[in-house]
Amino acid sequence: MANNLKKTIVDPLSDNNPVTIQILGICSALAVTTKVDTAIVMSVSLTAVTAFSNLIISLMRNMIPGRIRIIVELAVVSTLVILADQLLKAYMFDISRQLSVFVGLIITNCIVLGRLEAFALGNKPLPSLLDGLGNGLGYSAVLVAVASMREILGFGTWHGIQLMPAGYQGNGLMLLAPGAFFGLGLLIWAQRQIIKKFETA
Amino acid sequence: MSMPKGDGYVIGFAAVICVACSVLLSAAASTLKAKQDYNVELDRKMNVLKAFGVATRDANGKAISGAEVERIFRENIKEVILDGATGQPLEGVTSADVSAKELADRVKLPLYTFEENGQVVKYAFPVSGKGLWSTIYGYLALNQDLATIAGVTFYKHGETPGLGGEVEKDWFQENFKGKRIFGEGVLIPFEVVKGTVADKYPQGNDHAVDGISGATITGKGVTKFINSDLANYEKYFSLKRGT
Repeated sequence: MANNLKKTIVDPLSDNNPVTIQILGICSALAVTTKVDTAIVMSVSLTAVTAFSNLIISLMRNMIPGRIRIIVELAVVSTLVILADQLLKAYMFDISRQLSVFVGLIITNCIVLGRLEAFALGNKPLPSLLDGLGNGLGYSAVLVAVASMREILGFGTWHGIQLMPAGYQGNGLMLLAPGAFFGLGLLIWAQRQIIKKFETA
Repeated sequence: MSMPKGDGYVIGFAAVICVACSVLLSAAASTLKAKQDYNVELDRKMNVLKAFGVATRDANGKAISGAEVERIFRENIKEVILDGATGQPLEGVTSADVSAKELADRVKLPLYTFEENGQVVKYAFPVSGKGLWSTIYGYLALNQDLATIAGVTFYKHGETPGLGGEVEKDWFQENFKGKRIFGEGVLIPFEVVKGTVADKYPQGNDHAVDGISGATITGKGVTKFINSDLANYEKYFSLKRGT
């Protein structure tokens, strides 16, 4: 049992990563990764939403009528997302401005609804919470990796700390969408090489 | 998802979920409102400072504290409300007395002055108008001569990020500094050009700034509302220049 729980949380970090293996949540992974700060806040928000929506839906899984389950799931997810957005506006105004619509768009993030449908509806609360946490962290790992690459090459800084020598000319391409595509693509390739997971065409 | 449930149960369950979610959200919204409003107000003040050319970020790019903003406001900045029709200052009226509608209709015009050693050195006022998708809000500051721009900020808009959204970026706003909006007794129309100033006016032009590529309509909007707001405040500024 303990082993199973551990697998639930570790699996989505690498072998079954929601972004690099399942290719979910790409939109926000491209949009909010120009700086590490925004990527971290976005990661924390998404991890919290995934974990708690998994927990809540799992607690109610025997009560939810099958016919309206998607609606119920969306109501729970959007409530959590709006809560996260309100908290950011109150306590991290600057970053919430930079994230703009993307916190709100967690509602449509495939990872969240995907975990609810695939896991929380059929599992007990504790494993569901861990599954949400694991998938959120898997997403976070990718986001922070892509953001680190883009911020270091694009601005010469990491988390606001100057890394490149003074006079480093930032690479503007890294800050635009193509830079994110290249970065994410390379990451997906590298990871699949390492864990030897290939699509069977 | 054990056994199929009756319609009554489904409707009841949906109702309970809806009520629970809305109660939670209303509670959160009302608890956090004060804090959020404070942030919005602070952001507005920060932008007044930015238009005046006060450094709002330290060397590491960290924003100055709320207390510091309040201090500068208290010590250096005075606010007067002008009558939109006559351009005369309204005695005893503060921004708290001005409704959003009066602001939007330019019935009352707020004006900020930046003072050093008891001398007014800069003037700033809100500018706003339509871009392509949204209303753009900002502040425009003029130097003591009331003829050259001291600084500008655009802080609230819903333009396309990367295109019209570039109005909020420093590179665009920096270009406004030192541009001339008044000369030989009349207002000079200010212009955000399509393309670059160097292309459109090879002989140079001190009342135009480079446009944003891919955001011609946003630029036209900025041109239009800056000129119209300058004209609104001109009633007051012309009296000031006369003395």
